[in-house]
Amino acid sequence: MSETLELMARGVVKGRAAGPALVADATLSFWGEVDPVTGRVIAVGHPLEGASLKGRVLVIRSTKGSSATPMVLNLAQLEGTAPVAFVNVEVDSLAALGCIVNRIPMVTDLERDPFECIRTGDHVEVDADAGVVRVRRFAGPAAGALH
Amino acid sequence: MELTAEQRAVLEGARGPYLAQCMRWLVEWGEVMGARRLVPVTNTHVLLPVPNLMARGASPRTIEAYVGGLKEACRHRTAPGCCCTVHTLFLTMDDLDVPENDPEEVRRQKEVSDLATAAGFINTFTCAPYLVGNVPLQGEICAWTESSAVVYANSILGARTTRHGNESAMAASLVGVVPEFGVLLDENRKGTLRVEVSACLNSPTDWGALGYFAGKLAGLGIPVFHGVRRPTQDEAKQLSAALATSGGVSMCHIVGATPEAPTLAAAFHGEAPEKFVSFTDDTLRDTYASLRNHTGAEIDAVILGCPHASLQELAEYAALLKGRRVAEGVRLWVDTARGLRAYADQIGYTAVIEDAGGRILCDTCPTNMRMPARRIVTNGFKQAHYARGMVGAEVVVAQTPACVRAALAGRWLGDE
Repeated sequence: MSETLELMARGVVKGRAAGPALVADATLSFWGEVDPVTGRVIAVGHPLEGASLKGRVLVIRSTKGSSATPMVLNLAQLEGTAPVAFVNVEVDSLAALGCIVNRIPMVTDLERDPFECIRTGDHVEVDADAGVVRVRRFAGPAAGALH
Repeated sequence: MELTAEQRAVLEGARGPYLAQCMRWLVEWGEVMGARRLVPVTNTHVLLPVPNLMARGASPRTIEAYVGGLKEACRHRTAPGCCCTVHTLFLTMDDLDVPENDPEEVRRQKEVSDLATAAGFINTFTCAPYLVGNVPLQGEICAWTESSAVVYANSILGARTTRHGNESAMAASLVGVVPEFGVLLDENRKGTLRVEVSACLNSPTDWGALGYFAGKLAGLGIPVFHGVRRPTQDEAKQLSAALATSGGVSMCHIVGATPEAPTLAAAFHGEAPEKFVSFTDDTLRDTYASLRNHTGAEIDAVILGCPHASLQELAEYAALLKGRRVAEGVRLWVDTARGLRAYADQIGYTAVIEDAGGRILCDTCPTNMRMPARRIVTNGFKQAHYARGMVGAEVVVAQTPACVRAALAGRWLGDE
């Protein structure tokens, strides 16, 4: 049994994609905190440490840190380890650029707090063209299952 | 976004498909970030690195596609009237006897760097271009990569640059414009967070602690530091780097030092701050402790110069090392810009540092090169933060004299 939640959002970088969510109320620098070959978060002590971004809808507060974030996202995209979409609370110019160059959809301004209504493992469909995010609750064990 | 006839022509392919793509990136980026127009840019700093060990294990096709993109960009000319600098990042152009500096990767980097030179770029080989002559003036519109240099340019020099990636900075270098959003506009240079500093800041690393603390709280906002004296260049460098490590800060205001923040009221454009925090001596101590994850006293690497050491810092390191000897089994790396090493060679600092058993590393840093180490002592908060994950090392971040003492003793002796 699964419920689907449909939320309004603002499309930042156009496109549509879907995948399991990876969620943390945290910020992330791709350079230095993500390995583009494995797609895993390598930052020590980060809430997503060890988690794979590959194929995920990445739900975080924003990117931060290094200006090589678009570059690392580019390498990850070429390797097939990049997230398929971004749901961010705030838009860092570097995440926006990385999404534009690598054609990864991104939304922000979700009508509800994404950290309250999206859990790691939920199936999330991001439609940045229409400004809609659909969340289907994952029935199995919650956070950690995808690490 | 409103484009001029000339900008629209480039977008539509009048100067070829590559520049059309550059313009498309800048226009689309500007639109999503709320820009209304493109404005001329007169100063850029672009990352131009081959991935080296950062992409260890990646498929040859990935490397080929990525490096091919760099080369493609460098087949065009930089825009007239724009000072365009580049740097490398993940390896050194020196013939260095460490396995992390793969000669094949160095060859590939040299090929890319030479293409950049032919395209009109100036190779600075440093993350801190302002140390080697790329010093934009107050109000100058720039397109800089290097998150630490972006904060320095906006906050210390009063120049204006948003946080660029290499794709946007390269595009700006070739078409000569940037989308006008963020801190390029007066209204977006207003402080968002007041940081009242009562802590006694005694060194560049202490200023790094202040930045590491404030960056986390500021996020993408603009912290305003009140209660501090004017920082030195090295202190400002540490503050800038740390702010863009724990946070995504584009600029800060140091009241009394940032050109546009002579007063607290000016930093907030006459409005009340959104948030207020204190930075006390306790906060300072806790911030150091938050990043230290070493156990025991054993160490195997000491890294000085993140961001790249200034000439003043090279002088300081040489003075601390003169006539002394780094302990057996410890590598002391001093990271600096190639141009500054040339000065250091001439002045004699290089000989002093090398006679003591230290090594000067140019163009990159040990963490970026992924040099293996188990326990690192460093005077840079940025280096300490990233070394934990990128190298998998335990780290101690400390002021320079304590770092040098550790290098000489071969073990961590504590701060005092």
